[in-house]
Amino acid sequence: MNRIEFMTELAALLQDVPEEERRDAMQFYNDYFDDAGTDKEGEVISELESPAKVAEKIKADLLGQQGGGEFTENGYQERSVNLAKEVPAAREGQAAGQDPGNEGYRCRGDEGSDGYAYEGSAQGNTAYSYDKNPEEKKPWSSNVLKILLIIGIVLVGAPIVIPCALAIIVVAVSCIVGLFCFFFAIVIGFAAIAIIGVVLVCTGLIALIPEIAVGLALIGTGLILGVIGTVGTLAGVKLCIVMIPGIIRGIVWLCRKPFQRKAVA
Amino acid sequence: MVFNTGAALLDAIVLAVVSRDKEGTYGYKITQDVRKAIEVSESTLYPVLRRLQKDDCLEVYDRQFDGRNRRYYKVTEKGAVQLNLYETEWKNYSSRINGLFEGGETA
Repeated sequence: MNRIEFMTELAALLQDVPEEERRDAMQFYNDYFDDAGTDKEGEVISELESPAKVAEKIKADLLGQQGGGEFTENGYQERSVNLAKEVPAAREGQAAGQDPGNEGYRCRGDEGSDGYAYEGSAQGNTAYSYDKNPEEKKPWSSNVLKILLIIGIVLVGAPIVIPCALAIIVVAVSCIVGLFCFFFAIVIGFAAIAIIGVVLVCTGLIALIPEIAVGLALIGTGLILGVIGTVGTLAGVKLCIVMIPGIIRGIVWLCRKPFQRKAVA
Repeated sequence: MVFNTGAALLDAIVLAVVSRDKEGTYGYKITQDVRKAIEVSESTLYPVLRRLQKDDCLEVYDRQFDGRNRRYYKVTEKGAVQLNLYETEWKNYSSRINGLFEGGETA
């Protein structure tokens, strides 16, 4: 087996560990081979025994971290963090009492180790480990409960909630569409008036020759309508420029509101 | 060796080895240095380093070496405190054992 074969097999064996763990381990062993040098490649491979062995140790350690106490008998579960808590208690020299979590660190033979094992493992330590467990379990159970509750609500409420939600969404969308239409209608209406004004002026000019009075009246009305229409169109466009971004902002705010409340809670 | 090395002692040894290099040191060198002190298979050390890293006792960084990236390990402040605790504990532990072996008082 050469280095490439070793690494390939190791990668294959680590398929079921999280990607980050796999990449970290692969980098470590890749570095390891690089640093050992090509002439020591065979030596390293024989020292590491087999990819299976390497993968097994990596997985064992990952398992030990999650479960907390998988390897009690050989002490591999002993976490450095735990020791930090235990040491101050041990220094105070509290009452005697066996702490099962400490066995790996202390001497294995219980009978023969009386002299120091007892002194070190105080009752305070057991309190630590007992306090820690419910703390770790609580968020888990309440999360599961929450999820179950949500599923239950969804199941029970689905026939009512889904049509209601749909109705609300439809109403909201139609309101928004209506608002847009309203503003566009203003613009289009005034534009129409302006166009009518122009048409009237043109008709008046044509009518001027046979009937001066009618022609003048038409031109006059047309000019007035033209001015009103132009002013109205400009005002309508301006209104749209002001209102539409405002409406959009309002919609975005409304949509965001439920999420914001969630984040705060 | 007739005595086996528990995880805490292994952690302590690795921390001690890494802490000797202020700039940090790399996996192969750590392994070789640890193996100078105790008998341990090469495949044992990676999980230890990874665990210490996750416990924030070690930090890693990559540095260019020989045209490639090499991962370096460095003891953190927390790791230094931890190593200190281990050293104190070890002194207590070994002095008691020594006392027992040499026929003195065990308490």
